[in-house]
Amino acid sequence: MTQLDRRHFLGSGLFAAAAATIITPEMALAGASPAGWSLAVADVDADVPEEILRLVDGKVPADCNVTLYRNGPAKFRRGTGASGHWFDGDGLVRKFRIGNGRASLSARFVDTPKRRLETKLDAIVQPGFGSSRRDGAIVNGPDDTNAANTSVLMSGGELLALWEAGSPAVLDPETLETKGFKTFRRDLKQMPFLAHPRVEPDGTVWNLGGNGKSTFVWKLNPVGSLAKAQILETGRASYFHDFTATARHLVIVLQPWVQEGFKFPLSTAMAWKPELGTRILVVDKDDLSKKRVFELPAFSFFHLADGWEESDGTIRFDGCLEENPTFGQIAASALLRGEYIKAPSPMLTQIVLYPDGRADTNTTRISGEFPATDRRRAGQSRRFTTHVAGYRQTPFPHAIATWDWDKGRDDKHDFGSHQLVEEFLFVPTGSGERDGWLIGTTLNLKERRTELHLLNAGRISDGPLATWRASLPLPLTFHGTIA
Amino acid sequence: MNNLQSISTVIAMCIASISSSSIAQSSSAALNVSFTGIEEKEGAILGAVFNSEDAYNGKGAPVRQIMISADKSEVATALEGLEPGVYAIKAFHDIDGDMKMSTNPYGMPIEPFAFSNNAVGNMGPAKWADAKFEVKPGANAHAIVIK
Repeated sequence: MTQLDRRHFLGSGLFAAAAATIITPEMALAGASPAGWSLAVADVDADVPEEILRLVDGKVPADCNVTLYRNGPAKFRRGTGASGHWFDGDGLVRKFRIGNGRASLSARFVDTPKRRLETKLDAIVQPGFGSSRRDGAIVNGPDDTNAANTSVLMSGGELLALWEAGSPAVLDPETLETKGFKTFRRDLKQMPFLAHPRVEPDGTVWNLGGNGKSTFVWKLNPVGSLAKAQILETGRASYFHDFTATARHLVIVLQPWVQEGFKFPLSTAMAWKPELGTRILVVDKDDLSKKRVFELPAFSFFHLADGWEESDGTIRFDGCLEENPTFGQIAASALLRGEYIKAPSPMLTQIVLYPDGRADTNTTRISGEFPATDRRRAGQSRRFTTHVAGYRQTPFPHAIATWDWDKGRDDKHDFGSHQLVEEFLFVPTGSGERDGWLIGTTLNLKERRTELHLLNAGRISDGPLATWRASLPLPLTFHGTIA
Repeated sequence: MNNLQSISTVIAMCIASISSSSIAQSSSAALNVSFTGIEEKEGAILGAVFNSEDAYNGKGAPVRQIMISADKSEVATALEGLEPGVYAIKAFHDIDGDMKMSTNPYGMPIEPFAFSNNAVGNMGPAKWADAKFEVKPGANAHAIVIK
């Protein structure tokens, strides 16, 4: 039943009572949603040619000159079929450019083998994180199923569209044209490369690529070339979408959401085993054989923020921790059917690893996701974490905030229930940790348009300095980068 | 995606068995096999021709082996003296010239491979039923896209 069908069904007074008895409250909530949040996971049928965005509020700072690249799935349905999961749609890379007092937008789908095949067949056939393999599928390697839809990284002058189980796709940073998959070394084709590389202040990139009870460790030089490529045994086949790092260590969080065997969709091959607890592996960047292990009670997670090390060796980092992986297992699939399944909220939490082997968590009791920090401070101590917030009656957040770890409070702006808020990134203009702007996008459900916002990073509660509106709505993105 | 490793394993077995391939029997069919879509013009196309499902599935030797320099986007070879009958071909593009189907550190094939009829597998080699084709008495031609 499509979203429209369901609303029609529920809207009919004659059937409303009957409907309440046969569908779950969660489904009713979705069907009753007047805001139509399913625009967040709607399809885009074509690339978006460059357009000048309309300034609808505020004033553009004269010295603002920045490009924001964002990536997210934007094509889920073909023929009579649909992707089985929010994470499986085709990546649409968007380029927002602010300069000379104006802002523009263009967007282009990453031209992957999956997209080519499914366009030709007019059917969703390739398997994925939450999608089954269907007739017509061609799977001779991970990159045949690569959706290139999760994030972007500027490395060595190339714009890379990132997924997590296969290669980055190389895009032209100006035209967003796809050049093919990135091969860092001939024998490293088809290797997993997470969408969450950790970038040191000098541009050195660290990344992982999970595979069963091991992970591949990537290190790229600031110019984009390969510096290190090595398999690291983790001892547990945990699913990880992200990891973190200090200046000296890689920190790999091994949640008890573990792969057991192999089948498509991948999410159905993973089991939640809270009795195992969550294990954290700390590995020396200079000698991957030097490992330490920390144990914590079970939690699930998608995203972590940069970590750092104190003079006594204590490691601190924060993440958005969930009680269990309900969101990734079923709720993110239900979104594509217009259904809202309540999953445990991600809670912004600091994790502390002590030199004596103890580990601890300090929760903010704030629900938040998509943590973002001052990238100049990667691997160094910092005070602030920017995150989306304001989860209420839809599956998506409505606010942007920065948590102050010293004062224990949020500086927050709520865009309102008609706005779905995406990740915001920090653009420095001075040396301080909040000297700069936050730049990010929302999907305005009332106007049915995507909006671009610029805020003063030190005064978020003042609201946007400037808001621009596109001529169309684009589905929600996951992650982006500033160039 | 560990099962994808089976592609390379099976193909490696198939290629390894080429060295023990049998001598062609006396017969009256010729088969011109062409490979198209070659993107990296180096190395060679290596292939094995089978005349039974068992042999195709690794329980026997191929009847012929193929080795053609991959210096153009389209290359071909003529197999003479085949018995008319049903055949299937497995092939890969040995770009680096090591005579092996190269894999990445997780065992994924990283050199192009293909099967007769351009049949595709499901995370492994194409099935005999999809790859088999008939060779009739006289001249025959079969084209395979390998990229």
